[in-house]
Formats: sequence, structure tokens, C-alpha cells
Amino acid sequence: MNDLPGGHFLLGRPEPGAVTIREALDPELLQIERLAKSFVQREILPVMDRLENQEQGLAQDLLRRAAALGLAGTEVPSAYGGLDLPKLASLLVAESLGPAGGFAVTFGAHQSIGALPLVYFGSEQQRQKYLPRLVSAEWVAAYALTEPESGSDAQAARAQATLQEDGSFLLSGTKMWISNAGFADLFTVFAQVPTAQGPRLSAFLVERSWPGVSTGPEEHKLGIRSSSTRRLILDAVPVPADHLLGQVGQGAKIAFNILNVGRYKLAAGALGATKVALSQAAGYALQRQQFGRPIGRFGLIQEKLAQIATRLFAVESALYRLVGAIDARIVAGVPPIAATEEYAVECSALKVLGSELLDFAVDENLQIHGGYGYSADLPVERAYRDSRINRIFEGTNEINRLLIPGLLLRRAERGTLPLLPALREAQAKLLEPPRPVQDPLGAAAQTIDSIKGLTLLLAGKALQRFGDQLEERQEVLARLADLCMAAYAADAALLRTERLGRPESAVAMTRIYAAEAAAQAGAVAGELAPVLAEGDEARLLQRAGQRLQPLLDLTALRRRVALEVLDRGGPLGFGS
Amino acid sequence: MKILVAVRQVPDAESRLEVSEGNLDLSRASLVLDGMDEYAVEEALLLREAGLEAELIAVAVGAAALEETLRAALAMGLDRARLLVGELADPLAVARAVAEVARDEQADLILTGSQQSDWDSQALGPAIAACLGWPQVSWCHALQLDGGVLRGRHDVEGGSAAFEVALPAVVTTQQGLNEPRYPTLPNIRRSRSKEVRSESIPVTLADGWQLVAQGSAAKARLGQRIAVSDPQEAAAELLSWLEQTAKVRL
Repeated sequence: MNDLPGGHFLLGRPEPGAVTIREALDPELLQIERLAKSFVQREILPVMDRLENQEQGLAQDLLRRAAALGLAGTEVPSAYGGLDLPKLASLLVAESLGPAGGFAVTFGAHQSIGALPLVYFGSEQQRQKYLPRLVSAEWVAAYALTEPESGSDAQAARAQATLQEDGSFLLSGTKMWISNAGFADLFTVFAQVPTAQGPRLSAFLVERSWPGVSTGPEEHKLGIRSSSTRRLILDAVPVPADHLLGQVGQGAKIAFNILNVGRYKLAAGALGATKVALSQAAGYALQRQQFGRPIGRFGLIQEKLAQIATRLFAVESALYRLVGAIDARIVAGVPPIAATEEYAVECSALKVLGSELLDFAVDENLQIHGGYGYSADLPVERAYRDSRINRIFEGTNEINRLLIPGLLLRRAERGTLPLLPALREAQAKLLEPPRPVQDPLGAAAQTIDSIKGLTLLLAGKALQRFGDQLEERQEVLARLADLCMAAYAADAALLRTERLGRPESAVAMTRIYAAEAAAQAGAVAGELAPVLAEGDEARLLQRAGQRLQPLLDLTALRRRVALEVLDRGGPLGFGS
Repeated sequence: MKILVAVRQVPDAESRLEVSEGNLDLSRASLVLDGMDEYAVEEALLLREAGLEAELIAVAVGAAALEETLRAALAMGLDRARLLVGELADPLAVARAVAEVARDEQADLILTGSQQSDWDSQALGPAIAACLGWPQVSWCHALQLDGGVLRGRHDVEGGSAAFEVALPAVVTTQQGLNEPRYPTLPNIRRSRSKEVRSESIPVTLADGWQLVAQGSAAKARLGQRIAVSDPQEAAAELLSWLEQTAKVRL
């Protein structure tokens, strides 16, 4: 029993047993999580101030200690000293490291986007040469795609690698915002190779010690200050022929496939950091007294706690559902890169959902802490600063929002996703009177189905109205992306709640999340109606949006959730 | 030779404990290898790394869920494990079961934590020694083995004392003895395929003991707060609160 193929979430819902939930993970994975968490607790957090001051050598030392425990080898095949574990293992490690802010970036830049290009695209010889050193972190890796003039438009990179007569390349250019640049030994550098057919983006393995390789000074950043970020300067660097990664012209394929992994890992880190933020918020809300009672007894504080907890529940459900589905494909024999690419839409969705959840959580946590939260004396302030980068790197949230409908429509055109018939049926379905549903979870399921129907209807109208020009209607595409993300996460929360046997607070959170998603869908429909249609048809669209909203006392449901968050002192888990 | 390490499972100090109807409800708590027993596991590994030829066996007595705790000890490096599944009421009964395993395995040395870190019982180590008629050294903080003789230091009333004891013996461990290692990922992997021999044992109580009731007396936090800044006034309020609300007899 498997989850739906990638991108199919708008068209159906799998059986609850087909999705991975956090509560049903293998005991071995939980042991790995415990190890990663205790490493962060015992080795990283106590030296956070020193890391934030960029104490010379400390980050590398800690990276090596993490690697000595095997944490850097989760995704590397055993032939190169790794452990080749399910993707869920590296997900749990990323989540555990989340609260470590800048060090999580250091680790991810090395283990994930640093080493994975080699794991998935390296030649046998390249892997043998470098992977064992990266698994032990004897060497540190970095990923160099962005340039001063090309960020989101990564394929417009100007760095150039010119083929020499002996088959080697001469590489020149500047790479910007490179994590780990201060001490990385091996860079995956993306550069254009001029060919008879024009420039072709390609990837190269470049060692720090080579002539012509240097780095700029440390960048001064708003957050993640414990990570090293510099320019990488390449001045006529001779690159031997066998240091081309993959083939000439494969650069974009390598870059974007690695980013798919980076995106769900980013969501994992955000999830881990959100859990800490919620625990801090709940703890402080109980401790801080105003007007003669703990502020956690006030409705507006409870509302914040419930909102964080609810979004956390939904995003966590979606993340484990996604990576469980990728693992299931890998187990069935699909190569990891293809298995991940299958779920590229969901990877982008999680990147946005995770980073925006964390931004929301650190912001409300700071707000609950008031002036104390604004002071640098508490870690709340650092977490607030550290969060912000997540909406920028691994593809801005804007780019990822555009990717979601973009990829879905491309698959529909290619015939791998039966979206077009669904678009045609959407209108008729949405006008059907809703079946009466007794149980609250069934009602939530119906709400989610209606959100999906409305999304399809709006997407169909948008295609009709703009055709090939839809790409230029970014505002429309981003709204559609929002509805896709909400539908995927709401479904995941629903499926998890079913699998858990419907615990009361999980049911409450699923109902809240579905109702909030419906409100969002209603607002989107109202906004897009006059853009996509005219007269009666526009009014019909608007009304279709309004009809989604269930009549639900959200305030009461949120208070219920908040009381449990306060009682538990943090996120609501449903573990054994 | 064979070293037996008796391990226990306790709630994770980070996890929140729930109380329902006056009983501690551990059904949702995350249970982990007792930190006190980690010193015992580490010491067994260090003795072998110092050159001793020994098989290192973890043993636990109680619920079937103890398997994960045994796996944690195996992930640190012990060779195999024995799990005795049974509803046992008291440390003496656990000790008798461990002693049975020690006889069965012909163990030479038994290591265990000095004190169980959930409810602070210190009985297990001495009780095992009593069951076997072996010497025991409690609260040990330095240990080495020279040809069948253990030498080290342990806490005694008012200070610490050097000791020397011939095997077989029971030693209980504590903080300061060593720095327990992390279970590395490769070792976690390996631990999954190591042998955990599980067998059921009948409920046995020590002679003359009778089980009357079993449970824990716990109270949920009352969430009271004394909001007075004058220390004397606060102390007075605390006293009256303890007497009247918490019903503590002072």
C-alpha cells in the first residue's frame, strides 16, 4: 500500500495506512534521533555563543565530532564509508539539528547539498576519492551555485569553465553567499561551459587548495551567525577533466535535484526549531504573570499557542508523509534522485510551509516574551533572526510558489498527471450539494475535498483565461500554490489523525487547520473571481469560495488545543 | 570471562510525566536506558578495551518494551542481551532473576548503576550480590582489573575509600567513573542484528513477601504561585499553603 504518486494529492486521498506518520517510525530511527538530539543538547547548544562569535576552528571540530558518530554518512553508500539509511534517518537528523541555528546550516551545507551532488552524480573514481573524507568530515563540503548577479535565475550564472586542448577546464567567476566557504575543502561549483550550441551550465568539483581559488571576507548577517558565509572567488582555476561532475550541460539537473532534497531538509530543520519555540512560548506563558494570573490564561496568548501547535501538527504530518513516500519508492527500486523528483511539487510545498511556520512561530514566541524576547539575553531573539534566511535560500518562497502550479501543469501537459479532465469536472462537482456528515473528522475531510475542487476550478479558469500567458500571472499562480500547499498539509493531518485512532486534540487541530484552509481558499476565490471571470460567472466563483467555510467555533477549538499545549509544556506529540 | 551489565529503563528526564488518578502514567512517556546504568555499560567496554578478553552481556528484567533499552546498551557496544519478561514487583525479585542469569551464564563480574534514577532505589546491586553470595562494591568511581582482582575507589560514609576485591563480584557505578560514549550510527545499525534472547519468567516474590498493591503515588502540579515579594511573608504563606492545601503534616 503506497501513497499517491507525486502531484496527485489534488485528485485523491490515499488510505491512512499508506502514509508515513512520525508516531510509527522504526525503533532504529528513533535511536538515531535520540543520538542526534543529545549531540545537539550536549555538544552544540552549550557552546552556541562561541559559535556565534565564529571562534576559529570550532565549527569544523563540532562537524567532525558529529561525523565521528556517523551523522554525516546517513545518505552515503556503504562502499564509501556511509550508512545508506532511509531518507527518514537524515530527516530526523536535520530536525534534531534545527534548533542549532547556524550550525544546522553548516551541517546541512556539508552533509546535504555539499556531499549529495557527489553521491548522486559522481563517477566511481570521484566518489572513492572524496566521499570517505566527507563522511568523516576530514574534508568539509560546500555548494556554490548563486552569484552576485544570479540568485533565483540560477541558470543565468556567469561563471565560466572553458574547455582546454588537453580536456581540462579553466574556471573563472564569483560565487556568492556560499555556506561553509570559510573552511570548506571541496566545492561543487556550477559554471557555464561554452559549446557550439551556446553556454551549457555544468558542475565541477573544485578543491580549495588549487591555484586561483580564494574566498572573500565573512559576510555580516542578520542571523545564522554561527555559520560561515563568504564569496568564492575563482580566478582562472585549472580544473582537471575528471573533476567535471556528470556531463557538460547537466548542471541544472544536478543543481535542481539536489535542491529538492535541500528543500525538505530545510522544512525538517524548521520543524525542529518550531518545536523549541513552542516549548519556550508555553513555558513562559505559564511563568509570566500579568494582571494577577499567568498570561497563558489569556485568550490572545492561547490563540497564538494553538495556532503554532496546529500548523506544526499539519506541517509535521506533511513532511513525514512526503519523505515516507520517497523512501517507499526507493525501497521499490526507484533511484533516490528520481524518487525525490517525483515529489518535487511536495518538496517545494514543504519548503514554503516549513519556513513560514518557523517564521510565524519565532515571531509569536518573541511576542509572548514581550521585551524579554527582544533582548539578546534570551535565545528567543537569536531564533527570530536565524529563522529569516529560510524564506530566502534553497529557492525563495516566491520561486517555490511558482514551481508548484508550474510543475503540476507541466506534468498535466506531458500526460503524467490526469489534471485536465479533473479541471473540467471541477465545476460540476463543486456545485453538488454537500453530503450530510455526522462526525467532525468526516466534515473536515469534506472541507478539504471542497478546497481541492475549488483549486482545480480556479486553475482551470486561469488556464482558460490566460493560456500560455499564465506564466506571467505570478500573483494568480502563487494563490493557487497556497491552496495546493494547504490541501496537501490538511490531508496529511487528516490521514495522520485517522491512523492515530482519532485522539481528541489531533481531531481538533485537523478541524482547525481545515477550516483555516477553507477561509484562505474562500479569500483566494474572492480575489481571483474578477481576475478569471466576468459577471455571473465571477459571482459564482466568489460564492463557491464562500460556501467552503464550515460553521465552526474556532475559538473554542483553539482554546482546547492551547490548554493541552500549556499542560504538556510544548508541542502535542502522540507517541507511544 | 563474562561481564553482565544489568540495565533499567526510566522515563527520559526531558519528557513530561503525566499523572492520572494519583498514578504516574508512563504510557506516553519516552523511556530510555537509565543514565546511571550507562556508566556500567561504559565501564564494561573500557575493561575490554584495556585488554581484557570478555563477552559483555546486557540483562534486563521487566516489561517486553525493555528490548529497546537493551538495544541502546548494545548500540553502545555490548555483545548480546538477555531479556526476562515478567511483571515483577520489587528489586529483590529482579535481583533474583538477574542472579539466575548470572549462574546460567557463569558470569564473573556484574555491573549495574548504583541508584535507579527514577525512584532512587539503590537495592538492585547489593541484592544481586546477596542472592549470589558474592562480594559487592557500591558507588564505585574508579575501577581496574588486574588478573582476577578488581581495584578501585568507591564512596563511603564521609569520603571515599580504596578497595580490592577478587572476582566474582558485583560493582555498582556512578557519575565520575567514566564518560559514557554515544552510540554511533554504525553501532546503532549493528545493534539491531545483535542477539536479544527473550524469555518469560513467572512472577516471583522474595520468600515471605506478598503483593498487596502496586502503583505510584503522584500528584499533578497544582500550579500555585506565591506572589509576595517579602521573603518572610512568602515563607509564612508557603507554610500555611503546605499545611492547608497540600495537607502536609508539619
